[in-house]
Amino acid sequence: MAGRGMVREMEPAVSARGVTKSFGRQKVLDSLNLDIPSGVTYCLLGPNGSGKTTFIRAIVRLLHLDKGEMSVLGRPVSEVDKIYSQIGYMTQHKALYPDLTVQENMEFYAGLYGLTRQHREERIEELLEMVDLLEHRGRLAGALSGGMYQRLSLACTLIHEPELLLLDEPTVGIDPRLRQTFWEYFDRLTREGKTVLITTHLMDEAEKCRMVGYMRAGRMVAQGTPEEILSQAGLRPLLKLWLAEPERDAALLRAQGYEIDVVGGVVQARLESHAQIKEVLAAVSPLDMRLMEPKLEEAFLRLSVGA
Amino acid sequence: MSLNLGRVGVVALRVVRQLKRDRRTIGLIVFAPIVLMILFGYALSGDMSGVALGLVDGGGHAALRSHLVSIQDFDILYLGSQSDAEKLITEGQLDGAVLLQPEEVRVLLDASSLQISGAIAAAVQAGASKEKAVLQKAQESPIITRYIFGYDLEMMDTVGPAILGLVVFFFTFINAAIAFIRERSQGTLEKFMVSPLSRVEMVSGYVLGFSLFTILQSATTLFVVTFGFGVPLRGSPFTALAVVLLLGAGALVLGSFFSNFARSEFQVVQFIPLIITPQIVLCGIWWPLQSVPEFIRPFSYILPLTYAAHALRAVMLKGAGISDILYPDLLALGVFFLIFFAAATLMLRREVA
Repeated sequence: MAGRGMVREMEPAVSARGVTKSFGRQKVLDSLNLDIPSGVTYCLLGPNGSGKTTFIRAIVRLLHLDKGEMSVLGRPVSEVDKIYSQIGYMTQHKALYPDLTVQENMEFYAGLYGLTRQHREERIEELLEMVDLLEHRGRLAGALSGGMYQRLSLACTLIHEPELLLLDEPTVGIDPRLRQTFWEYFDRLTREGKTVLITTHLMDEAEKCRMVGYMRAGRMVAQGTPEEILSQAGLRPLLKLWLAEPERDAALLRAQGYEIDVVGGVVQARLESHAQIKEVLAAVSPLDMRLMEPKLEEAFLRLSVGA
Repeated sequence: MSLNLGRVGVVALRVVRQLKRDRRTIGLIVFAPIVLMILFGYALSGDMSGVALGLVDGGGHAALRSHLVSIQDFDILYLGSQSDAEKLITEGQLDGAVLLQPEEVRVLLDASSLQISGAIAAAVQAGASKEKAVLQKAQESPIITRYIFGYDLEMMDTVGPAILGLVVFFFTFINAAIAFIRERSQGTLEKFMVSPLSRVEMVSGYVLGFSLFTILQSATTLFVVTFGFGVPLRGSPFTALAVVLLLGAGALVLGSFFSNFARSEFQVVQFIPLIITPQIVLCGIWWPLQSVPEFIRPFSYILPLTYAAHALRAVMLKGAGISDILYPDLLALGVFFLIFFAAATLMLRREVA
């Protein structure tokens, strides 16, 4: 889980203020405020129909907003068509030609973005290796399995080394091992200063992201780093300690200002931050311990009720 | 709106790669013209046989009489009186009857079949003119009827050029409409919208890619039509190709435009009676434009196949060059293409936004 450094003080890659969009009478985006800093993986979470895809389509101006302002890579969204070559957009539809081979699909997209012949070959080689499709390059895309098809779609989206990646549900149907490869690749991209926006409805994916935004019915319920969201919801990590003299050590920790419970002889400390683990261990010497991380899912549930 | 030829080429190459892989379409290119030539060339040729004609010989008109008897398509039944003939025609036993009398020739026709009665009337006319020629031989030279172009043309010859246009129009329209439907359902269209590729480049790439396909299709069809069915090719095949390419480009953008009104490939097929059939009926090849009712005729003049068929006929049968068919045929095809090119590119945007 690299990339947990400081959020750089830069212009956000995407910034939305009061963004509103209705289809007929239904408000799909409702006064949405959102900032995606440059150089991070940002996970847009939310149940089906919460407006995630609509928001991505608004970023690339496939639909026009009713209200609100938005900027993309430092430009107003009205000029986004001038920087399409810096954006990689992967739709849920995969956008591949089943009657072309893996290699031909890649060549086609490389050609659209004007990659030179040599550069093109290098990129295709590198990306097919990343998505583990090298030995399938001569196969028709239509003959690939669902997961392979998905991987090829991702490779095609990355072909032109975009500054801003917009990935709509990119890991659906991908096995855990490859999913891990993807996340490592995304981390590498963010270290190069690129920004990755991912939509998903899987919580465990969200926890891998530098930043998370949770949408519900077109509104932003909460956004920030996973830690920030947990603390907003009042959820803190719980440190369970097995001690030789639980009652004495519990009193000691309470005296230092910790919130302590003793349940069945096990001392439980609610921490403000992970940094406190060290301080607790300086005060007591447990026989055994376990850190219980609060779940983002629970945080979102709490925050949704409040919203 | 930018136009980068490199990107147009990339789209064209992709279209060609896809079509190349579509074996069924490649097969249809060869077999469709053969089937259509057989259907329209022979079945609709206007030749008929077994026409039952009654003959009441009241004397005279020897030349006319021998002419009618000599026509192999007519089965002659000799009758005694006009009332017999009328009875048999009413009963449907005869298609018509000719009454020869010294002072006049009377023709009775079954009005329910225009083509058969037309054939009989024409035969009588021809026989009468022969008779006239024989009678006046001493004083005048025989009447020579001269038809400009087509005095020895068969139905096959006039149909051949139109088949060329029809085959290309039909397949390009259907293939293009389906291709654009797929661009939508696959999500590739949406992806294009978020790439440097402009709408004009995309449609241009399709026109270019399909043009290579059209050349192949035209060459095959020309070959089948001229060598297989003996239709003359008096003009340059390249002039014919120019007409077909322009027609194909028009069919492509029309297909792209109409793909906006279909949600599936299945619905594209439903366009056939609406888009293709009127062109076949109204293009003026099988039924002359003059025979199209006046209130429908304006439609004939907005359909591209009308101009393409006219131009191809001129090139193949009369040996016309580019300058001969520039106006109105090529001009009309060009205008048709431009209108639907603009419409197709505009609709691409509207659909997504």
